[in-house]
Amino acid sequence: MATENISVIKLRNFLLVTVPPDPDDQTVSALQEQVLEAMAQHECGGLVLDISTVETLDSFFARTIAETVQMVGLMGGRTVLAGMRASVAVTATQLGLTMGKALTALDVDRALDLLDSAPSGDGV
Amino acid sequence: MAKQPSTTSTSPATVLGTDDSFRLLVESVKDYAIVMLDPEGHVASWNAGAERIKGYRPDEIMGKHFSCFYPADAIQRGLPEQELRTAAKEGRFEDEGWRVRKDGKQFWANAIISALRDKDGTLRGFAKVTRDLTERKQAEERIQQQSREIMELSTPVMQVWQGVVVAPLIGSLDSQRTQQFMERLLNRIVETNSPLALVDIMGVPTIDTQTAQHLIETISAVRLLGAQVVLTGVRPAIAQTLVHLGIDLSDILTRSSLAAGLRVALDMLNLQVVAKNGKP
Repeated sequence: MATENISVIKLRNFLLVTVPPDPDDQTVSALQEQVLEAMAQHECGGLVLDISTVETLDSFFARTIAETVQMVGLMGGRTVLAGMRASVAVTATQLGLTMGKALTALDVDRALDLLDSAPSGDGV
Repeated sequence: MAKQPSTTSTSPATVLGTDDSFRLLVESVKDYAIVMLDPEGHVASWNAGAERIKGYRPDEIMGKHFSCFYPADAIQRGLPEQELRTAAKEGRFEDEGWRVRKDGKQFWANAIISALRDKDGTLRGFAKVTRDLTERKQAEERIQQQSREIMELSTPVMQVWQGVVVAPLIGSLDSQRTQQFMERLLNRIVETNSPLALVDIMGVPTIDTQTAQHLIETISAVRLLGAQVVLTGVRPAIAQTLVHLGIDLSDILTRSSLAAGLRVALDMLNLQVVAKNGKP
């Protein structure tokens, strides 16, 4: 199921990526690849990762996301994690998982506001 | 021994073989159901307590299998037979659980089954002593429910403005309460789509390292959601304690009063409270 469930959409100056509900390691790795390729192709200023459907989260996911945030930062974009579920946030905190330097927003709408409000290109 | 239909039991002389006064003692006890079972588990004697607790008259129950006191699911699991086997093997079996009265109502029972053996060690039957602990069980459940309710009541999360929720914390924070508080706060933030949460600690008597850690955890969980926390109600005593304990809250927005916190929140939402007549 790895790659076909990931949608990477270019929206204005941003990339909107929807993460599938129950991402396995392969999917997460594929997601990173696709995101970086799209960044290279479109030269976007920001990336919104919509994780509102994600119900479970493990350390691999957290680490890969943190790495992706750094990589996107090196390519000149900022990353916003949008719509994390309350239960997922509780679990992540209890497991001590952090998402690196990712910005967070309640939903995609607010994430776009956030990327719009601050100038891009100043790293992460 | 003459059978007397008016007494509460028929003497199990074949099994028990004791004198009349002892039989009278057992039969008259009203607070405990004291029942003799034959080796297969059929009722062989019945006292006043058994009639009171379980509702059967002696003539209705004598000779019946004792599994009729158990709820259907326990019978399906083979619990009655299992209890007898354990009692026969180890001499004694004690259990607490739901049992069924004649009228179908359930009661919480403490039951002890002891194996009765004669001098040669042959199993002659079982003595089953049952107490009705329904009231104690109900009291325990009531206490549990009340403490749950107190917990719920002590961590309300309210929306005070479009995009702002307030959570006044009252009492000390242990890990169980933190867990619950965190879940409620996070759920309310998502429900109300609020990017700002004011956590007021005015009602927290003292802060120790653990409480502070719990607060920091909660705040990082809120950040994962994409919302921000302003910690309000930092009293002088709490500020002193935090510094003396060396707890670093420098990357958390803090204010001394809820009002100041609300001003910060409105400011961040780009809102302003203006007097009606337009004068400052």
